[in-house]
Amino acid sequence: MVTLEAKADDRPKVVPASLKDDDVPRADREESRSPVRWVLLGVLFVVMVVPIYLLVVNAFKSQQDILDNPFSIPLGGLTFEHMSAAISSPQFNVIGGYGFTLFLVVMVDVFCILLAGPAAYAIARSLKKRTQLVLLYFLAGTFIPGAAVIIPVIYVLREVGLANTVTGLIAHDVASTLPVSIFLFVGFIRTIPVDIDHAATIDGAGRYRTFWTIIFPLMRPAVVTVLILNSIGIWNDFVSPQILLSPSSGHYTVTTAIYAGISQYSTDLTKVFPNLLLAVAPVVIFFIYMQRHIISGLTVGAVKG
Amino acid sequence: MVELAGLTEAQRRGRNRARLRETAVSLGMMGPAVLLYTVMTVVPVVVAVYLSLTDWDGFSTAAFIGLDNYQHLFDDPSSTDAWYVTALIAVAGTVLMVGLGLVYALALKAKSRTNSFFRAVAYFPHVISALILGYLWAAILGTNGAINNTLAKFGIDPVGFLFDEQFALVSLIAVIVWAGFGFNVVLFVAALQTVPAELLEAAAIDGASKRQINLRVVIPMIAPVVTVATVLNLVGLIRAYDIVVSLTGGGPAGSTQTFTYLILARSFEGTKVGYATAQAVFLMVVSAVLALLVTALRNRQDQAATGS
Repeated sequence: MVTLEAKADDRPKVVPASLKDDDVPRADREESRSPVRWVLLGVLFVVMVVPIYLLVVNAFKSQQDILDNPFSIPLGGLTFEHMSAAISSPQFNVIGGYGFTLFLVVMVDVFCILLAGPAAYAIARSLKKRTQLVLLYFLAGTFIPGAAVIIPVIYVLREVGLANTVTGLIAHDVASTLPVSIFLFVGFIRTIPVDIDHAATIDGAGRYRTFWTIIFPLMRPAVVTVLILNSIGIWNDFVSPQILLSPSSGHYTVTTAIYAGISQYSTDLTKVFPNLLLAVAPVVIFFIYMQRHIISGLTVGAVKG
Repeated sequence: MVELAGLTEAQRRGRNRARLRETAVSLGMMGPAVLLYTVMTVVPVVVAVYLSLTDWDGFSTAAFIGLDNYQHLFDDPSSTDAWYVTALIAVAGTVLMVGLGLVYALALKAKSRTNSFFRAVAYFPHVISALILGYLWAAILGTNGAINNTLAKFGIDPVGFLFDEQFALVSLIAVIVWAGFGFNVVLFVAALQTVPAELLEAAAIDGASKRQINLRVVIPMIAPVVTVATVLNLVGLIRAYDIVVSLTGGGPAGSTQTFTYLILARSFEGTKVGYATAQAVFLMVVSAVLALLVTALRNRQDQAATGS
């Protein structure tokens, strides 16, 4: 190793600096000198950020201003008129949508954990083949394209008397989060030594108690992943609330409010931009604060699920 | 001896009872999840399969018509058109997302603050609803959008990014790639960081150029993760719906209607629910086959790699 390093240092032109992860400061300095890299990153920054820039600046302009100078910062013509109109709009109110969407997110998160946790525990701690089939049964759910089979879901909800109800929507959403949640939980619980369970059993704890008071607190990383995965999924979901709750129910999530509002006023940009900004803001702020957790959580969830 | 046998007999009975109790508790723990999942996810699929064999229109009683709906899938032009659009989005989108993902992952793999900032910049659309991203891009690419209004200032005629049949599908794919490739970047960076540095040094000492190292050493090393990303992208894109609704609404003239878009549009016409569910079942089978196929290919690759 040592001689290798020395040789590599003798011939700095041959060793691609960017490949030397273990030598971060130097690698960084040399990387930043590469013009190709900076062109790539410059293009990335512009392409990714300009749409968000446009969203923010145009939310505070008049229609004429948006049409004439979409890219300008509205120093002179800055107006909060349309933003406050969007905030207080009685129709398809996005701010009102926050409350209902947050309620959905919390309910789905709570019920998902309450159902997936014990189920995953029973599956992870069982040595029987039959129980492993239960895991496969849940995993098959990841192949089902949710949006495409949403019509039969209406059919089922009608049969059980939950058609067009918030309860029905929550039941459907919880069920849709179970496969990936259970899969991630089972994987995590299997890394926790069974000795801990035995110790709890000897101390007289039943299985439920062992799970909720001993194992569940140890599952924190997996629980955080599942909560992030489900919360973002439910917050952004459009098809289920749109189809399982008709407009007559009077409940709007952020996405269905945006859909109802914008499909009606798509040419009025003073309605489009402020409403979209209101819809995006909570998620982007959440993302900035929880970036590390979200990126690793969503990636793990998607790959393992 | 006799006494001991009696003891084991009692013990066995006790153990059996304990085992029975254990099974009952296990069932109790799994029961609620299994029940909800079965009623809300599995039963609808069974219902879909049943309805797909009928001519149900959403109101009247359904008549059994066998496989007619499935036969129809292949001779109905709107269905085949939607398949063409969906396949193009899935294949082109996946190729571009994986390609861009690799390029940016190689550029951003070193651990540094700058790099994690740029990774977040590439990734952030992934947390925003596709519906909202579609509306945002519609406001940028539309006839009255930011780009066309700026072009107009320079006296250039508006470009029909979303209203020209040729352009609309390209715009749709571009927006999908914009929103999705950052996920691959993050996935690939995580994989790249596990490639041992000694391997790269050895290759460099053997005189390999940077490009050769990337193509011959690094990318083969992370091939399993590239396969995972390919499966996820393909299966995700084959279901594209939200972004179609908000960006193009399936138009112009149905030129960007994806399969899921068609299914949901059909279902609400209220006349061809049976046919729409046949399409849904077919989509489900295709996405399952696709996922299994790519995973099987990957397993064979892995076996070949470990075998040689």
